[in-house]
Amino acid sequence: MLTEQSAYSNRWRQVSPVAKGFFSLCGMVAAFTSSSPRAALLVSLTMTAAAVLGAGIPTVRYLRIATTPLLFLLASGLSLLVSLDFGNPVTGVSLHMAQSEIPRVLQVSCRSLACLTALLFLALSTPLSDIIALLRRCKVPATLLDMMTLCYRTLFVLSEAVHETMTAQSARLGYVSLPIALRSLGGLVSNLIVQVWQRSMALHTAAEARGNDGALRFLENRYAGSPQHITIAVASGVAMIALTVLLP
Amino acid sequence: MHIMEGFLPIEHAIGWTAASAPFVAYGLYTINKRIKEKPEQRMLLGVAAAFTFVLSALKMPSVTGSCSHPTGTGLGAILFGPAAMAPIGMVVLLFQAILLAHGGLTTLGANIFSMAIVGPFAAAAIYRLAKAARIPFGSSIFLAASCADLLTYVTTSAQLALAFPDPAGGFAASFAKFATVFAVTQIPLAISEGLLTVIVMNALLRFNPLELQDMNVITAQEAQA
Repeated sequence: MLTEQSAYSNRWRQVSPVAKGFFSLCGMVAAFTSSSPRAALLVSLTMTAAAVLGAGIPTVRYLRIATTPLLFLLASGLSLLVSLDFGNPVTGVSLHMAQSEIPRVLQVSCRSLACLTALLFLALSTPLSDIIALLRRCKVPATLLDMMTLCYRTLFVLSEAVHETMTAQSARLGYVSLPIALRSLGGLVSNLIVQVWQRSMALHTAAEARGNDGALRFLENRYAGSPQHITIAVASGVAMIALTVLLP
Repeated sequence: MHIMEGFLPIEHAIGWTAASAPFVAYGLYTINKRIKEKPEQRMLLGVAAAFTFVLSALKMPSVTGSCSHPTGTGLGAILFGPAAMAPIGMVVLLFQAILLAHGGLTTLGANIFSMAIVGPFAAAAIYRLAKAARIPFGSSIFLAASCADLLTYVTTSAQLALAFPDPAGGFAASFAKFATVFAVTQIPLAISEGLLTVIVMNALLRFNPLELQDMNVITAQEAQA
C-alpha cells in the first residue's frame, strides 16, 4: 500500500502524532468554516503543501494516491449539477443542468477537496499504529482499540493469503469466465473464513501462553521535541481557521 | 458505496454520527459480553475486521462485465452477528479512509449507518425470516446478502438526497436521481454478491460445518445433516 510506505518513510515520521493529528483536524474544521470556495481552496493548498513540501511526500506518489478520490469527487459533483424534474408536461420526467446550483456545487466540491487533503496529510504522514496510540489517549474504548490493533496486524497476513490463493487459482484458469470466476472467488472467501477462525484461535492460544489477561497493550513511541511541534501545529492550525473565517 | 470526505454539510455529518453512536455502543456492549463468556472471541472479532477489509478490496466480476467490490455486510452479519458488525464496520471504514482514502472521517458516521448498521441488520432479519418461512438455505442466504446490499445503497441515496434536495423536485426528485445513478453499479453488484455469498456458505457448510457451528451460524442438527 502506497499510503503505508509514505506514512513510515516521510520526513515528519518523528514529529509527534498529536501535532500532526491536530493540524489535520484543524484543516477539516477550516474546510467547514470557510465561507467561500476560494478559502476552501486555500486550505487544500496549505494541506497539500504541508504533505508535499513539509513531510516530503513525492509529488507523483501524492497525485497517484489522490487520483481515485478526485475522480470520485468529480462524479459526485457532476451528479449534484444534474436536476431531475418530474413536472415536465411532454415527457413526464426531464433532466437538465441546474444553473442556479453551480455556486453551491462549487462550494461543496471545494470543501470536500479541502477535507480530502487534510485526510491525506494525516494518512501520508502518520502510520496507523501511531493513530491508534493517539486514539488511546483520546479515551476510545479499549475493545475498539484492540479490534483496530488486531485488524491492522492481520490485514497484511490475509492480503498475502488472498494474493497467493489468487495466483494459484489463476494458474489453473480459475478466472477465465464469469461463472468460473465467481466459483473461484467463493472458494477463496470460504477458505479465508476458515483461516480467520483458525488464525484467531492460534493468536488466542499464543496470547494466553504469554499470560495475556485482557486488553492488548503496546509500548508507545516517544517523540523528541513534541511540545514545540504541538505548539507550532496549534498556532498554524488556529491561524488557518481564523483566516478562512475572515477571508471574504 | 461510500460518501466522500467532506461532502455532507456539517449538520448532517454530526446528525448521522449521533444516529450511529448508540448502535456502535450497543455493539461494543455485546462484544464485551461475548468476550467475557468466550475470551477467544476478542481475537476472532479483530481478525474478522481484517477479513472484512480484505474482502472489500477484492475485485468481483459483475454480471454486467464491469468490476466492483463486495461489501461483505451480509456475509459478516450472518457469520459474526449484526450487532457486532457496527463496531467491526466502524474499524473497517476508518481503515479504508486512512489507508485507501476511500470514504472519510467527517462522513464516517453516515457511512457506518448505511454500511455497518442498515445492511447487516437487514441481512440478519431477512435470513431469520427466510429460515422461519422454511425457504431453502441457498435462497435465504442469497436474499439476505443481496437485500443487504440494496438497502445499503438505498440508504446512501437517501442520505445524499436529504443533504442535497433538488431545487425543483425536493427530496423525492433528488432521491430518484441518486438512486438511478447508483443503480447502474449497485444492482449488478447486489446480484453478484448474493451469488458469491451462497457459494461461500455452501462451501463452508460442506467442508467446515464444525466452524460454522462454533460461530453459532447453524445448529448442531444442521451441521450433522
